[in-house]
Amino acid sequence: MDSALFPEGVKRCSPKVFLLWTLPWLALLAWGGLSAFLCLWKGLNQTNMSNIFAFAIWIVFDLAVIALGAGAFFTGFLTYVIGRKELKSIINAAVIIGFICYSGAVAMLGIDIGQPIRGWFIFWHANVHSMLTEVSFCISAYLGVLAIEYIPIILENRQIEKVPHLRLFGHNLHHIMGVFAATGTFLSFFHQGSLGGMFGVMYARPFAERWDFYVWPTTFFLFVFSAIAAGPCFTILCTKLTEAISRKKLVPDNAVQFLARLSGWLLSGYLVLKIIDTAVWANTTVPNAGLGLMDFYREGPYGIWMLIAEIGIFGIVPAVMLMIPQVRQNPAGLIVACLMNCTGIVLNRFVFIIATLAIPVMPFARFWSYLPTWQEWGIAMALVGYGFLLFSVSYRYLPVFPKEQELNPAMNG
Amino acid sequence: MKATEGKYKYGMVINLDKCTGCGTCTVACAAENNLSVIRDETDKQRTISWMQLFKVTNGKPFPDTEVSYFPRPCMHCHNHTPCVSVCPPTATKMDYNNGIVSQIYTRCIGCRYCQAACPYQARYFNWWDGHFPKGTERYLSPEVSVRMRGVVEKCSFCHHRLMRAKEQAYAEDRRELEDGEYITACTEVCPAEAITFGDLNDPDSKVAKLSKHPQAFRLLERIGTEPKVYYISSKDWVRRMADNYHPNEFQPV
Amino acid sequence: MEINRRNFIQLLAGGAAGIHMTPLPWKLMDDIAIWTQNNWPWVPKPEKGRFDHEKSVCTLCPGGCGIEVRKVGDRAVKIEGRTDYPVNPGGICPLGAGGLQLLYDETIRFTSPMKRVGPRGAGQFTAISWSEALATLAERIGMLRKEGRPEALAAVDGNRRGNAEGTLIRRLLESVGSPNYFRMPSIEDTYTTANLLMQGNPGPMAYDLENADYILSVGPALIEGWGAPGRVIAAWGRWHESSNGNGPKVVQVESRASNTASKSDGWVAPRPGTEAALALGLAHVMIREKLVDLSFLSNYTHGFEDWTDEEGRNRKGFRSMVLDGYAPAEVEGITGVSADRIVAIGREFGKAKSPLALYGKGKGNLNGSLLECMAVQSLNALKGNINKPGGAVVQEGLPVASWADVSPDAVAARGLETGRLNGSGSPRLPLSESLVENLSRAVLESNGTPPVDTLLVFAANPVYTLPDGGAFGKALGKIPFIVSFSPFRDETAAMADLILPDHTNLEKLEDVVWPTGLQYPFLGLSRPVVRPLYKTRHSGDAVIALAGKIGDPVAAAFPWGGFEEALKERLRGLAESPGLTSWDESKPAWETFARGRSVSPDYDSFDDLWDQLESSGFWYRPTHAFYTWLSCFRTPSGKFEFASGRLEQAVKAAAGGDAGDGLRKMGVEAVGDQAYMPHYEQTLSGDGEEGLKLVPYELFNVSTDRLPNPPFLTKTLFDTQLRKDESFVKMNPATADRLGLEQGERIRIQSDAGEVKARVDRFEGAMPGYLYLPMGFGHTAYGIYQKGKGVNPMNLVAAGKDPLSGQSVWWSARVRVSKA
Repeated sequence: MDSALFPEGVKRCSPKVFLLWTLPWLALLAWGGLSAFLCLWKGLNQTNMSNIFAFAIWIVFDLAVIALGAGAFFTGFLTYVIGRKELKSIINAAVIIGFICYSGAVAMLGIDIGQPIRGWFIFWHANVHSMLTEVSFCISAYLGVLAIEYIPIILENRQIEKVPHLRLFGHNLHHIMGVFAATGTFLSFFHQGSLGGMFGVMYARPFAERWDFYVWPTTFFLFVFSAIAAGPCFTILCTKLTEAISRKKLVPDNAVQFLARLSGWLLSGYLVLKIIDTAVWANTTVPNAGLGLMDFYREGPYGIWMLIAEIGIFGIVPAVMLMIPQVRQNPAGLIVACLMNCTGIVLNRFVFIIATLAIPVMPFARFWSYLPTWQEWGIAMALVGYGFLLFSVSYRYLPVFPKEQELNPAMNG
Repeated sequence: MKATEGKYKYGMVINLDKCTGCGTCTVACAAENNLSVIRDETDKQRTISWMQLFKVTNGKPFPDTEVSYFPRPCMHCHNHTPCVSVCPPTATKMDYNNGIVSQIYTRCIGCRYCQAACPYQARYFNWWDGHFPKGTERYLSPEVSVRMRGVVEKCSFCHHRLMRAKEQAYAEDRRELEDGEYITACTEVCPAEAITFGDLNDPDSKVAKLSKHPQAFRLLERIGTEPKVYYISSKDWVRRMADNYHPNEFQPV
Repeated sequence: MEINRRNFIQLLAGGAAGIHMTPLPWKLMDDIAIWTQNNWPWVPKPEKGRFDHEKSVCTLCPGGCGIEVRKVGDRAVKIEGRTDYPVNPGGICPLGAGGLQLLYDETIRFTSPMKRVGPRGAGQFTAISWSEALATLAERIGMLRKEGRPEALAAVDGNRRGNAEGTLIRRLLESVGSPNYFRMPSIEDTYTTANLLMQGNPGPMAYDLENADYILSVGPALIEGWGAPGRVIAAWGRWHESSNGNGPKVVQVESRASNTASKSDGWVAPRPGTEAALALGLAHVMIREKLVDLSFLSNYTHGFEDWTDEEGRNRKGFRSMVLDGYAPAEVEGITGVSADRIVAIGREFGKAKSPLALYGKGKGNLNGSLLECMAVQSLNALKGNINKPGGAVVQEGLPVASWADVSPDAVAARGLETGRLNGSGSPRLPLSESLVENLSRAVLESNGTPPVDTLLVFAANPVYTLPDGGAFGKALGKIPFIVSFSPFRDETAAMADLILPDHTNLEKLEDVVWPTGLQYPFLGLSRPVVRPLYKTRHSGDAVIALAGKIGDPVAAAFPWGGFEEALKERLRGLAESPGLTSWDESKPAWETFARGRSVSPDYDSFDDLWDQLESSGFWYRPTHAFYTWLSCFRTPSGKFEFASGRLEQAVKAAAGGDAGDGLRKMGVEAVGDQAYMPHYEQTLSGDGEEGLKLVPYELFNVSTDRLPNPPFLTKTLFDTQLRKDESFVKMNPATADRLGLEQGERIRIQSDAGEVKARVDRFEGAMPGYLYLPMGFGHTAYGIYQKGKGVNPMNLVAAGKDPLSGQSVWWSARVRVSKA
């Protein structure tokens, strides 16, 4: 029925099956839509956020998806700026994932702020000292770049391509994609960094505070580093998931293996810096605040396990796994390693947001616990639904994987 | 954003030996500044109380137990005010001429980054629109605007009272305010006169003298926020509560 | 230049680009920004107006602090303290500061006279006119008189003892012919009775605490609402001006680490209800170590040494009784306070120059224990610190004038001869007037026609505040007609058939008589600072109008045009007495007072005095005739009596000869000579075996009396006191462990009076074995901020009777606990 829209020479499931497949994601979106309506109409009292947990699950999701979406800018950088040709087979997927992550995050932020219709005041009355200003500028701009990167993929749709003007436009865009990739890289570098900087600059919260390197706290660099270490793994995971669901090979192994190997090295490099950073922090910032390292790990569920899990189990282990060719070449090994890598980075963001706020600074302030409401989960889950939906539609109608036809010759016709 | 010293530097000293923990400061502050009332004021994570009471105990078993209180307004941090530097739309600023950290409610977008950055929990978000049972909007003061939901607010050192005092002074053809002419609502109402307010830059002011009291201290001094709110207590265990100390590090006065 | 398409487009494009060089778009953006910020229709915009200040006196508690109300136009926007008022120089209390939420919250107020339309307690009323309301009531009272049972009219009154409104209400009942006027209990009952028994005059308790150098505070919530909070806390602040201590040493006696106990220089924690034993233990130490004023004791007291009575019998004196029965080791056994501590405190008190022992129970909204009060006062007597600067001052009441006597007609005279329904004034209960709990019992135990037909309730909410396990509320069920004069929709009003709403404090003219505990005579004049918001009427005016409608001879007893006229007539007495109506801030009244010189009045006629009262709002006499020990005691012996002659007379009258029987009837267990002296008897509510006991406690920052709690005050609470709709009960961790209870766990607390549910707050400062449940919560009336929030401990307390006074023992009750 809709086969005329499919990319050239590939096979897709029937509209009925596709519709069934989208139902759960539509359901998540509906849940999120209701939640969003309630939060906008009745206010943020619909959440369990509080004066203690000023940032909560939404910010964790935001930072997590932005870190995981880093595959887009980093793969773009490698493909167009460095010129790794093998990545052309995966760059489209990376861009779409990035677009999903960033657009979802921006939408979530729009609900998260108390006065969404004043959101533009960030730009209008910008405080250049605020890391969040930097984040806002860069994310908005980079979302634009991602949209521009997404457009040529849309224009490659079989029917759209038939319109000569659009085809030409798409072609021209393709030619200058290097410029956008470079711009995106620049923007991404700064907002990934400033997202980290947001926490490092909170000098009155010793748990988050980090020393400055040049004008930025170390978390600036650590966040960039961890994002580019985890982003490619997330791209791999999404690709592998698509392959599993479509029961087709979509990306040549060389591209996947290159990204996996690179991730392993980047993660190792990141962990070295992270460990140094943690050690320096634990021996300077923490004692200067009159505290010991373990003072941070005795409130509620936020024990030392966070540090062990983040750096050890979900840091060193996947880094080693990804660096060992035999492990990353094993399909299961690759998936597990990528999953662990992503988990580690999400945990890192969680710790910087939730644990930072949960640990009181004043000795007489008490510990509070926080659990999200269904409205908060709804909006977070809507992001998942939105991601699946947009990626599925893109996959169905756009040549997301240029090598699909080549890798699945049997299915031709 | 290094603080350049202005002419005035308003600050406060709270004597915890005098403080009885009665909460009149909190109530007077709420009445003075049109604080909203939510339906469940026992929701301590989401109620708004610019001047908040914190209760501490010495941890000793009965009958040696003692309780004490820290009334906690905004500290109006003088050095690298943690909330000011992080606010994206510049909705909170420190006026270097008087040291008061203000909040522009109509500019705040409600991102709450300032709340995350403040270690004193002095900032409050309006999770709800205020609930005004029929007739109660009649007690609202026109000197302070009523906040809408979705914005952050905090103690302003009763900034409008500074304006009031200045107007009075201009009307009387005076250029300078006298010590005690501009005081906050909590200072004025405290039945134990535990709160002293004034210009810390004026060496002759009561507040400046008290801030140099040997038993005077500030909250979380070692993180370097330079609060303009001081406390005085003759009790070691209370003073020790004000900051984090390594074992055997705390020095009794 | 020709305008063609091309250059038109150029012009447009150029213009569009050029306009961005001007401030216009930026200005527009800013305007839009402001517009989006300032138009929130649901956010109230306070009306502007002319700023103004009105001075008055707060009547929300018996403290009577001076207040200054900030107004904008007609609206009151803030209550502040006033610095030109001798009682509280500047500060006020949380309730006072939050008072506007009571004035303006329409949902908790009656806006006009009402009659009940729904079932009792449902709070459904319909508005009626004042003339209809007063006519209904007048007709009913007239009918009672016609039926010849005027005594079936009763009144429960929460007014302060001796203020004009209360006196008018009492007069109404007297002129109608009913002796059944009952005042709500308060610490004043205990003070005046103790003063009557030991000093011979039922005057107010007057503690000169500002001039004392050692304060032993036995029971009062000294800095948490006792007396005039503005006065006591201001003194507290002065005492802590510097850390080397320029104030007196303050030792608080209380079983819980309250704010007062914690902030004081010392804390002694006896078991609740054993304070008398502790005081007598201290007396033992002082006497044994000769740390007493022997000259005062031998010249101006009676019953200190063993003595011989008129009939020639040898009688035991206070010294022997205390030395025999209250050795520190023994007192340790009773109170739980170590003997060493008793010795140490006894010595400190004995060695101080002017030590003052203060008695009270919490804020003083309810009665204390008479024997405890006497035991504490005897410590002052041991040091001769009676009627001295820095001591317990012997004071008469305020020099107000009396109105002409009522001349009851035959119906009224017969009614007045019937005994009071609560048994007070009878031989069994000669010492108390305000036994409202006994009224409930009389009503509940009656068969057939209830003894009360029509009940008037003024300035009180007995259904909620009485420590009677809910008996008053049940009694109301049997009373045919109930009239509430409450301005608020309280629990008692919810049971009423007719509402004649009073003004609230800020709308009302009132005389504020003698703030509790103040050392010098004082009268404040509370003036309306806003015009009445609703169709309410001053209860004084309502009573006068009602009397008019009842007709003569009742109407004849109220010859005044209104309350103000009656009040003025009463205050004429002040004009004939020396006093002052102004105060110099540099000279605290307590300093002037201690100098003891006379004052010359700053008014020369009543009209002059009234004018000044209206502007300054107070009259006082900061002077006193100290050391007048030969004349100030009006006891049978003419001395300060350790052994009360008046009590002995009363006991004899009660028993018709057999003293032991008389004492038993008055609830006294002790026999022999000590029964007439301050001694210790266990006071505890509830039957059953020893075990857990409940102590209801008051918070300063919660209205625990008849008034609803303003929501601003809830901001000052911790969520280990009240969370959502649940009260927290404090208990020692050891007690909680023994019961297997975690922090926050839900429990059921049962007594023989009732049952409540609460959550556990483990608190080191709670005495092991005792549960501390806050008062002021658990309302079933008012608005969303009060109704259903927490539980009322008064529902658990009942039955216990204080020896001699017959008043409630509310400070300790046996309870059982189970997990809920």
